[in-house]
Parts: sequence; structure tokens; C-alpha cells
Amino acid sequence: MSKFQQDPLPQKVDNLVERSILDLGIPPCPVILDRFMSEMNKSDPDYNRLADLIGSDVSLSAGLIKTANSPFFGLRQRVRSGGEALVMLGLKNASRAIAGIILRKSFPNVPNLERFWDSSARISHLSGWLAQRLDIRGLRAEDAYTFGLFRDCGIPVLLGRFSSYESVLDRANREAVLSFTDVEGSEMPTNHVMLGCLLAQSWWLPEEICLAIRNHHDLLALESVNSKLPMLSRKLIATAQLAEHLLQQQSGLSITHEWQKLGAACLRLLDMEESQLEALYAETQSIVSTAE
Amino acid sequence: MHHTNIIDSLTGLLDRFGCLQTAQRLAADSAANGKVFSAIWVDIDRFKQVNESFGHLGGDEVIKDLARRFRNRLGGRAEMSRMGGDEFVLLIPKCDRVLAQQLAGELASTVEEPITIDNLTLRPTASIGIAIHDPGEDSLVLLERADRAMFAAKTKGGARIICSGDEPIPGRLGVVLAREELSIESKLHTALENGGLCLHYQPVIHAKGHIEAVEALMRCSVNGENIPPGQFIPVAEKTGLVIRLGEWSLFQGAMHARMLQDAGYHTKVAINVSRAQLISPKFTQALHAALICSNVKPELVELELTESLFMDISDTVQMNLKNAIAAGVGLAIDDFGTGYSCLANLKDIPAGKLKLDRAFVTVLPEDRRALAVVRAMTKLGHELGMTVVAEGCERQEEIDALLDAGVDAIQGFFYARPMPEEALLPWLQNRNMK
Repeated sequence: MSKFQQDPLPQKVDNLVERSILDLGIPPCPVILDRFMSEMNKSDPDYNRLADLIGSDVSLSAGLIKTANSPFFGLRQRVRSGGEALVMLGLKNASRAIAGIILRKSFPNVPNLERFWDSSARISHLSGWLAQRLDIRGLRAEDAYTFGLFRDCGIPVLLGRFSSYESVLDRANREAVLSFTDVEGSEMPTNHVMLGCLLAQSWWLPEEICLAIRNHHDLLALESVNSKLPMLSRKLIATAQLAEHLLQQQSGLSITHEWQKLGAACLRLLDMEESQLEALYAETQSIVSTAE
Repeated sequence: MHHTNIIDSLTGLLDRFGCLQTAQRLAADSAANGKVFSAIWVDIDRFKQVNESFGHLGGDEVIKDLARRFRNRLGGRAEMSRMGGDEFVLLIPKCDRVLAQQLAGELASTVEEPITIDNLTLRPTASIGIAIHDPGEDSLVLLERADRAMFAAKTKGGARIICSGDEPIPGRLGVVLAREELSIESKLHTALENGGLCLHYQPVIHAKGHIEAVEALMRCSVNGENIPPGQFIPVAEKTGLVIRLGEWSLFQGAMHARMLQDAGYHTKVAINVSRAQLISPKFTQALHAALICSNVKPELVELELTESLFMDISDTVQMNLKNAIAAGVGLAIDDFGTGYSCLANLKDIPAGKLKLDRAFVTVLPEDRRALAVVRAMTKLGHELGMTVVAEGCERQEEIDALLDAGVDAIQGFFYARPMPEEALLPWLQNRNMK
């Protein structure tokens, strides 16, 4: 049934959640969905665990934010994280709605997004922790978490639409000199940061988060004296980039070259010395293993 | 609000938005610690002449030099902002009238130190306005008072300091406007992240009865207050926010075209694109992002190009338009026949549609000369293979005259006013406009 054959303002929040998630074009992580369903199927589901699962998935979080910020709810102050959206919608309602979509198997077939799901969940978690650990002035841990989660949300959309994007992504990840988006731009008419920014803007996420998504591979925007990028956006970018670097150090895999290109600028923005990283490497291990 | 300070790119000081935020913060601090703070508004006298004599680059050098001097003199004691052009605001915590007057005097002498540029020595002066924050006063009102005091100093010949309350009664529209603009800019930021924007749609009816397109028109409201486009668009253009608003409407318009497509309507959605968007090399990326996210058939998206684009069709603009055509979207030239419109541009812009300015319509059918111009423009449009649309039609006689002149399609209150997104589909269904 087409969207317009329904009431334009669905009476059931379930419908709205379903539409929001399915319209995103970003598939949820199947592992999260499995864990979610096995928790829901228990006689006494642990709703805190369900909230954690939803919060760690790009698609489910974005869908809930989009729903909570839709005109249907008419909130004066928009929510800015998956957690806030859950509180707004009611954890039980939202969980029931998500379970309904999973059971109907409404999600389209998608290319393998394992790396995307995995890294967005880890980066958001670690970014939130770093914001508190480093006590970064003016940066809310929740915003750092939200940015970490949605930073690359343009990637799954492009993967779903262009079969060639996987190889573009691979080249961009390996590129040591050109910026990530320059590599995308050499083969695509757009890039994941523009897509991510427009998506986040359409969910009414805070301006600094949208601008951070748009500029997170742009060294000039981070450092140049002429840059108009708000300081909070720069700090969000630096925090998530540091989180990515710590995770790559911890796993021993350097999948991207972003730290070589942006790391020095990020450290300056966070007011950190290279020598302070060693201590963080050690702490990261315990944070990541606790999360898992 | 969630904004952090935004830095003025030329001087590294705060910009207008950063200034307002800082004023709000100081007002809160002041309420907590009971100490008043002050705003000092500095405007360089006859700065226009500096720009005219040394060019904008020379002018920029002077501004940078002044910012450096202010920092050296008052750094650490004041929060400094550049409000645009040659205007600076210094916000000084824990500062009463006596101290503010003393600091303003220091600033005046700082400004008057000679500046050498292109081997010429300038001795600038400044008009300075002071306002002391009243407990509970809105930060915008404080800034407005400082601005008004500065203006009073300027109208007295410049090179002087006036404290708010000492100046004559103001009557300058510009002062109100400056404050209004600041307030509208702040509201636009709020609208962008608080769901305060939406698109309304006005149908364009073809002479043969079908729907030619629907034009998406942006509406903005903040906390229940509607801000008319005539107010927010000029401020958006001035502050650069027009790019983000334009991208937002590009995305939403494409999404809506997709929803119409899903509902079985092959209706084009025409989206207004500003000059600022088209002179940006990122326009093509934004357009493709909107097309990819919406997954709409590109031919159902039409870009309406504003007449100000005609001022200067740079290589970037040409490339963006070429890319848009290559992506499969349509182009329409809006408000044709007035302003910057120039026939020579018609050959350079690969548009498929010409929208005649409403100025020609409202005088029909009585004005025979206007009718002759409409007839000629329509013929020209047709020769170029374009569909010709007339905007702003409200009366049957206008429509009869326009159709008689060969115009292909009509837009205006006569057929429909702009309507909210949710009203469009029922409207189409009622008229069986598939």
C-alpha cells in the first residue's frame, strides 16, 4: 500500500515508527535485531538492555529520532539522541513497534554492512566515553555518542544504491594523501558526508551535529582560520576521530588513514599531547571489552 | 539553543551569532553574581571611503589590524565580536558605566593610531555607543541600545562616545532592522533544528487542464510565530544560511516528489534554488544526495532559478546547471522579464521553462503594451523550446488574456493558494489530476 493511501497522520505510533525506519534507506544490523528479538521473546524482557541495543544501531536510533521529531508529536524541543527519543515514545511502545517490523521481515535485502554496523556502534560508544573522560569543554557526552553513531550514515545509503560504491569506499579508506571525500568525488557525483548531513538535517538533529557530519573529513574546516565551522562541531569530529584511532590501535588493524591526515589537528582541538595517547590506549581496552 | 560561538573568519573574533550568545551568557552570569556588564558598539567612521580607495582587500587589512589592536588593548577583559562590515561589539563582564566609559575612551584612542596601507597613512576614528545591562533585560535589547547609542554618536559627526540613555530619540529604521535581523537569524537557526521549516505547494495548471508542476514554497515558524518569507529570505541571504535552507528544501521537495510518485502522480515538484547555492561547487553533491535519498525519478524534480542568478553566470554556475541537466532534473527560469533578466542569458541557461514575472500579469488585460511584451516573451520562449508559465494570476480576465497570448500554463490564487504538504494530495485527488 502506498504511503498516501493511509491517513497522513497515522493514529498509531507503531505505523509512524515503522515508516520512519523503513524510509531511511539504512538497514538495521541483523545481529542487533536477533539480540533484540531474543530479549523481547523472554517472559520478562529487560527493557534497559533493549534500549542499549536500539541505541547502538544507526537505523533504529535514526528511525526513533525521526519519529519523535515528526510533527505528529509537536515537541517544542526536539530530541537529539536515540535515548531521548526512547523516553519520548515510551520504551515499551517503541520496542513493540520495532519487534513488529522485524517479524514482518520488512527490511530490504542489503549488501554486507558488517563493518559499518560494527564501527558505528563502537565509535559512538567510545566517543561518548571520551567526551566524559577528557572533560571536553562544552561537549555533551550524548552529542558525542549521537555524532559517532550517525557520522557515516550516508555510507549504507550509497552502498544500497550503487554497486560500485564498495570499491570506492575501499580506495578512499586506503588513500593516504587525498581526502576521503576527494576520492569519493573522483568517482561519484556526491559523497557520504553530504548525504549524511542532509539526512541528519531532515531528522532535525542539532545544527552542530549536522555540520560535523558534513565536514568530518575536511582538514581545512577543522583548522583553517577562515573556517566557519562551529567549535562544537570541530570537537565532535576530533572526539570521534580519536575514538576511531583508539579502536584501530586496539584491534591492531588500521583500516583507514584518517588519523594520519587529521590526527594532529584533532589532538590540537582536544588540547592533547601525543604523549597522552599511551594512557588512553590502555584504558580503551578495558572500555571496549566491558561494552562487549 | 545549542549553538556554540561562531568565529568571524576575517578577524578570528566572534561573529554576530557568537556575540548574541555571549551576551545571553553574561546576562545569566550577571543574574547569578549581581554584577552588571556592558556592551560597547564600535563603528569605524567613513570606512566606506577606505574600501573605495584601497579596495575590499585593503579594507579587510584595516579591519584585521583593528581587531588585533582591540585584542592587544582589551584582550582578557572583554568578549569581542565583529558584527559584520566595520562594526565591532565588546562585551565586558563586571563593568559599570564609569568603567565602560573609560574603556570606550581607550578603544577610541586605539582606533585613532595611524594605519599605513599602500604607503598611505590613515588616521581612522570611531563612533562608539555604550549600553549598561539592566537586570533582567533581554540581551538583544541591550545590543540594540548600544547600536542606537553608536548611531547617535555617528549622526553627531562621529569620533565620539555616547552612552545609551544620553542620545536623542532615535528614528532610524536601520537600527530596528539590525536588531530585527539578528533576531530573525537566531530564529532561523532555531527553525533549522527544531522543526520550524516546512514546504507549502502551489499547483501550476496547464492550459490543457493537467497539472504542469507544483511549486514548493518555504515557510518558517518559530514557537508559533510565522516569519514571512519576505523577512527571513533576505536575512538568510545576508548570513549565508540560505544555502542550508536551500539544501533542506531540495531534500524535502525531492522526498515529496517521491511520495507523489508512489501515490501514482507524475507531478513535477519545482524547488527554488538560490544564487548562493548555485555559485557553490557543492551544489551538485547536494542535488545528487537529495535524488539518491529520495530515489525519485529525476524528471519529477524541477529547479527554479532566481533572477539574481543572472547577475553573473560564472563557470561554477554553468557547471552546476550542466550537471543538473545531466542528472535528469528540469530547469525553470523564475521571475523572467524584470530585474536582472537579460535576453542574452536565455541562450546560456539550458532551461526548459520560462516563468513570466507577475508584474506583467496584474496589469492584464487592460495594459496593451504589457500584453504585447507577454506575447513577445512567450513567442521567444516557444522558439527556444520552452514551456511558458505565467505567475500570480488571480482573475479570469488575466487568464483569458494570457492564454490568448499563447502562455502554456498558469499559476496563481485563481486556481489554488499554496497549501501544506498534507493538503496537496487530497487537492489532486479531488480534481482527478493524475
